[in-house]
Amino acid sequence: MLQPWQFFLLGGMLAATAVVIVATGQAPANIIILSITVVSISFVGMGAYRMLAPLAAEHVDAPTTIGGRTRLAIEREKNLVLRSIKELEFDFAMRKIAQGDFDEMSARLRARAAGLMTQLDAGGGYRELIAKEIEARLAESPSASSVDEDARAGQCAACGTANDTDAKFCKNCGHRLGTD
Amino acid sequence: MASLGALLLLIAFVLAAYTVAAAVVGARRRNNRLVESAIGAFYTVAAVMTVASGVIIYAFVAGDYSIRYVRRYSDSVQPLFYKITSYWGGLDGSVMFWVFLLSCFGAVAVKVNRERHRELIPYVVAVIATVEMFFLFLMVIHNNPFTTYLTETPTDGKGLNPLLQNFYMAIHPPTMYLGFVGLTIPFAFGMAALFTGYLDDSWLRAVRRWTMFSWFFLSLGLTLGMIWAYEELGWGGYWGWDPVENAGALPWFTATAFLHSLMVQERRGMLRVWNVTLVITSFLLTIVGTFLTRSGVVQSIHAFGEDAQLARYFIVFMVSTTVFCFGWVIYRLPLLKARHELDSWMSKEAAFLVNNWILLFSALFILFATLFPTITEAVNGERLTVGPPFFNRWMVPIGLILLLLTGIGPLLAWRKSTISNLREQFLWPVLAALVTGGTLVALGVRVWSSGLCFALSGLVVGTIVQEFVRGGVVRRGLTGTDFFTAMIGLVSRNKRRYGGYIIHLGMVLIFLGFAGQGFSSDQQLLLKPGEEQKVGNYTIHLDALRVTDDGQKQMITGHVTVKNTKGEVIDQMKPAKWYYRKHEEEPTTEVAIRRSFAEDLYIVMPAFEVEEQTASVEVHINPLVNWVWFGFSILAIGTAIALLPEASLSFAAASIPAEAATAMLVLLSILISSGTAFAQHVETGQDPRLQLVSPKAREVAHKLACWCGGCSRLPVGQCSCGMCATERSNIDQMLKEGKDETQILDYYVTTYGGNQVLSEPPTSGSGRVVWAMPIVAGVGGFLTVAYLAMRWSRRPSIAGMPAGIEDPEMTARLDDELRNLD
Repeated sequence: MLQPWQFFLLGGMLAATAVVIVATGQAPANIIILSITVVSISFVGMGAYRMLAPLAAEHVDAPTTIGGRTRLAIEREKNLVLRSIKELEFDFAMRKIAQGDFDEMSARLRARAAGLMTQLDAGGGYRELIAKEIEARLAESPSASSVDEDARAGQCAACGTANDTDAKFCKNCGHRLGTD
Repeated sequence: MASLGALLLLIAFVLAAYTVAAAVVGARRRNNRLVESAIGAFYTVAAVMTVASGVIIYAFVAGDYSIRYVRRYSDSVQPLFYKITSYWGGLDGSVMFWVFLLSCFGAVAVKVNRERHRELIPYVVAVIATVEMFFLFLMVIHNNPFTTYLTETPTDGKGLNPLLQNFYMAIHPPTMYLGFVGLTIPFAFGMAALFTGYLDDSWLRAVRRWTMFSWFFLSLGLTLGMIWAYEELGWGGYWGWDPVENAGALPWFTATAFLHSLMVQERRGMLRVWNVTLVITSFLLTIVGTFLTRSGVVQSIHAFGEDAQLARYFIVFMVSTTVFCFGWVIYRLPLLKARHELDSWMSKEAAFLVNNWILLFSALFILFATLFPTITEAVNGERLTVGPPFFNRWMVPIGLILLLLTGIGPLLAWRKSTISNLREQFLWPVLAALVTGGTLVALGVRVWSSGLCFALSGLVVGTIVQEFVRGGVVRRGLTGTDFFTAMIGLVSRNKRRYGGYIIHLGMVLIFLGFAGQGFSSDQQLLLKPGEEQKVGNYTIHLDALRVTDDGQKQMITGHVTVKNTKGEVIDQMKPAKWYYRKHEEEPTTEVAIRRSFAEDLYIVMPAFEVEEQTASVEVHINPLVNWVWFGFSILAIGTAIALLPEASLSFAAASIPAEAATAMLVLLSILISSGTAFAQHVETGQDPRLQLVSPKAREVAHKLACWCGGCSRLPVGQCSCGMCATERSNIDQMLKEGKDETQILDYYVTTYGGNQVLSEPPTSGSGRVVWAMPIVAGVGGFLTVAYLAMRWSRRPSIAGMPAGIEDPEMTARLDDELRNLD
């Protein structure tokens, strides 16, 4: 499959070849610089394509984001925090940091690393986390029983007709609902 | 050709404008299409600038003299290499070259960070494109390098300034520009963080590498500039506090400060406002640097002449940028609150705070002293000179304090150091310093600044060695390998830290070179062929004075034989004077240098008389100069180690020494090859008189600044131009007539109508301001820092410190991952 950039580079090289043929008789340095310039024109072509293609595209891929930041960014940050912990432990081993300070700083960094790891595990942003939580809680109480309850709440004690939950009187017999 | 070039610049401007618009709109509306398109346009600007650069280089190489710029800065006899470098030999081309570098650099930075910092990228692109727009605007409106002659087409050019036809001068501007341009990237990320409000540490991570990279190029550029000045200007030194050199040093200081203070933010979450401010300041100082060079508001050997219109454009740009950027900083202040407080003055944070303050003070001091003559002239019309003696007076102690901090900073702990910590950490380094100092005193070294510098160097080296050894011991304990492997592992695991220490080591060597200046000596000789004279440990023998011609220039060469104390011939040296065609009125002085690690023998022939076969020869003996260049190569190795990507960790342990060795060899070969390079100095055509002057006359002459306009206002006693030689003999004459120093200085002040002939501003009138300012700013700044630190230390610790991880499973996983890092 021909990529756009290959097309442009090929075009640029062809044009450069043409220029070299046309420019015979000039000093070699001139010809080299000319052909470099001509090839760089193909970069302009690539750039223009890169600029215009997204405007015409149906859909532009956005990378997966977690809480407004890309997954990659969070992974990088996690690595950096881990490295900071390492460095801190090293400083401590070189006896530059007092025990108390070390404990506090280390605890803070570890908490941060753990937080980032949880975030990565969840694989989504806070919005997704909340959605998951809700789903989990709903799953605990089966939906069928709640429907039954709702139905029972609207049932008329006199004639047994199912009414809306917020109805005050039965739509069939007119008996007052919810009094019993 | 020319119209194509002009069209390309116009296209680039339009594209940059589109980039800004699309990026900002796309980011605000969360329209990915627009953002992607803006990034595409941003790349296209780089491509268009590449083509435009190709066009102008072709015009130079093919000799299209219908273009004004090409005609002014090249001619047909120039070697190909200098034809290409003529691209940035003048004002218009250097602005264009700047945009070219910025667009390429920006494209790479965006490409690399596109995925990681998705949220910042649209604004980064917009900020860089805005800066490009400004420079493109300048070119399109005011300094188009593609302007042609309307009527007649000249057949040949004027030729590049002979001063610039030197290898170092050809590569010095690009490295300097890379440094300047590189600092735009951190600025763009900082601004993007301000715009988006994502002011956590992620933007710092993105820019750390770029800052280090551009910091390295600034250092390289400054070093190349020094080598050039040393070999080219023929006054025996390398740093004359020329305004443009200063302009290059300004962002270097702030970038250095930033590289240190970002560690504080990373580790402790402090100094967040400060870091943003430093990034903005560094960027503004690069613009100030360009402004000083390009607009001619200050007198300098580099300046391209006065241009009031250009100065106005620059001032508008600088003022609006300053207001805009700091406006955003103030708007975001609530988000920039520090998370932690300063616990103790005996801590790394405090040391960094002091270091930052001193670096910023240096930058502000140099900026102020450089601009001072311009300011006084604008305010009350009084012309003054702030010459090298004034700078040295202040910068020597500042440098020493920085060296001291380099020694103690790494030894202090974060948060607070206890007394026992201190004792343990400081014992060996302080001993090293005392031993060095004691030895020097015993040897009879009496130059206080140099002696102190050596002792402090001992402290820093002691610190670094101790850090390496103790680190190695700890690591050996952890991994159970032998000491050497542990050492390599140590460096490869903590590249930034140990790379930084190696950079410190390089700085120490550079300081050794600076300290060597305290022991330099020079002597002026008047020789006829066959005569000889003793200078220090050398005997200088003039063999002959020869005149030759190579078609491009006429060369008058003094053939000098150098003998050592035993009378053995150790070298043949050839100081010369070259007269380039079409530039006969500006002969260049070719320096002959005999290099060694202990000292350089540096011979200049400022004047001669062919008929009488007499040459005036100046001999400088400069101890330890080569350590400056050598120290730079160590610094380069340190930077390379610190910059190695994280991913190279796995194999770096084995390959670092090899790489370092290669880098060192390359740099050393550059240095060694420079030993044979000829240097030049362009001067005015005045014919100096051949006369010896007394040491007293030189001393008086040191208090005057050269006013010939071509010599970057060096002291007359040092400057090697013809005018200064004449003035030195005049001073000698006046001394013989019985005048004293004040009378002579008064004579010059009245003759030349102002205090600008004095190399230091007088301590009266408006000159007082420049003397008072460093003190006021120094004390004021110190009080401010102290006050802020007090406030921080009183601020109650923010509650809700994470209580640690409750989940044992998570703890186990964390420990596991930490082990895997080793």
